[in-house]
Amino acid sequence: MSALPSGAPGPEVLVPHWLAGAQRTQLATAVRQALTSRPVHPVAVIHLEDVLTELHVAAARDAVWPASAARVRLATGWDDDVLPVRLSAAELSSVLALAELPAPVRGLLSGNARA
Amino acid sequence: MTYPRFGGSAGLLQRLRPVRIDVADLKDVAQEVLPALSTPTLRLHLLQRPGAGSLVVLEEDERQLRVHLAELADDMTRAGVRPTHEDIADALAAWVARRPVTDAAAATAGVAVLDWSDRNETAIGWRVVVRRGELALPWSPSSRTDATTLHGTRTSATGRSHGVPLDLRVEGPVALWSHPEVPVLATAALVAPERMLQRITDAGLAMADMQVVVTPRRPVACAGPAIAARLAGETTEASVTLPWPRLADLPWL
Repeated sequence: MSALPSGAPGPEVLVPHWLAGAQRTQLATAVRQALTSRPVHPVAVIHLEDVLTELHVAAARDAVWPASAARVRLATGWDDDVLPVRLSAAELSSVLALAELPAPVRGLLSGNARA
Repeated sequence: MTYPRFGGSAGLLQRLRPVRIDVADLKDVAQEVLPALSTPTLRLHLLQRPGAGSLVVLEEDERQLRVHLAELADDMTRAGVRPTHEDIADALAAWVARRPVTDAAAATAGVAVLDWSDRNETAIGWRVVVRRGELALPWSPSSRTDATTLHGTRTSATGRSHGVPLDLRVEGPVALWSHPEVPVLATAALVAPERMLQRITDAGLAMADMQVVVTPRRPVACAGPAIAARLAGETTEASVTLPWPRLADLPWL
């Protein structure tokens, strides 16, 4: 008997990280800087590009279905520009490996609670 | 398609602890407001029946509604309408504004949009709606509508949908379409997906194999397959994702 999973992998779990507009801009800037300033492993390139896509998709998701994030903002008192950015474990690791990631954004993505 | 029957949303406290709308108060307001809301084609009046309670009668072309005043008062109470003259008058006007769409209005002003085809919100189809101010009301064909009229009304509505002006917002690889005033109309552009694709391309976004993500009454999102899946797969809200060529195959509701 093999304990290895068989067949195609299931859909990746994407975990929400609640980031304000400025923090999303800082995250995008850090990712773009990494992609343009030095050679990056091809697999990491894919993950980092997916992070850039997710930053747009998170904004689009909020435009189409604003209610659920609005409920969370109402309950927590967060500002209107705080959105859930949903990342896979691999995408998160690729981002956390970037030296240029600002410390406050790193803290939020590492699971530290929002202020 | 469901709509709040009396316009704006009442506050939470008002809905939790509604104050009863008195039938006599509603009657007073109705006697004053209904004549003012009537037009040559829309007839509104109170039918007073000794010992049986009054009826509100609404007649427009082939449509006729008769509602017990007491029932309307109960519905307003449940909806959290405040028992002031002004609020009851507003609620009554909102109720009239939400009256059924006539066959003639659908034929002359109908617009084709996508709506849920089931209560569980799992499938969508085309529906004719008619705009009344900030509302877009669904049309249900009357029993006198024959197949030719039905086809004609739907075809004209589809034609009118081409002319509904929508806002396009490009959010990275996602194109978002919305109507500035009437959210129901956001899906009108889907009658001509090739034109949407052209506008998306003109806006600088290349989109091979475009998928549309539709939640009726919400903005429409267009994106490539993987991005559309990421967009719709990570929300608990109901939506339908389909490749644009399949839009033409959706049924009429």
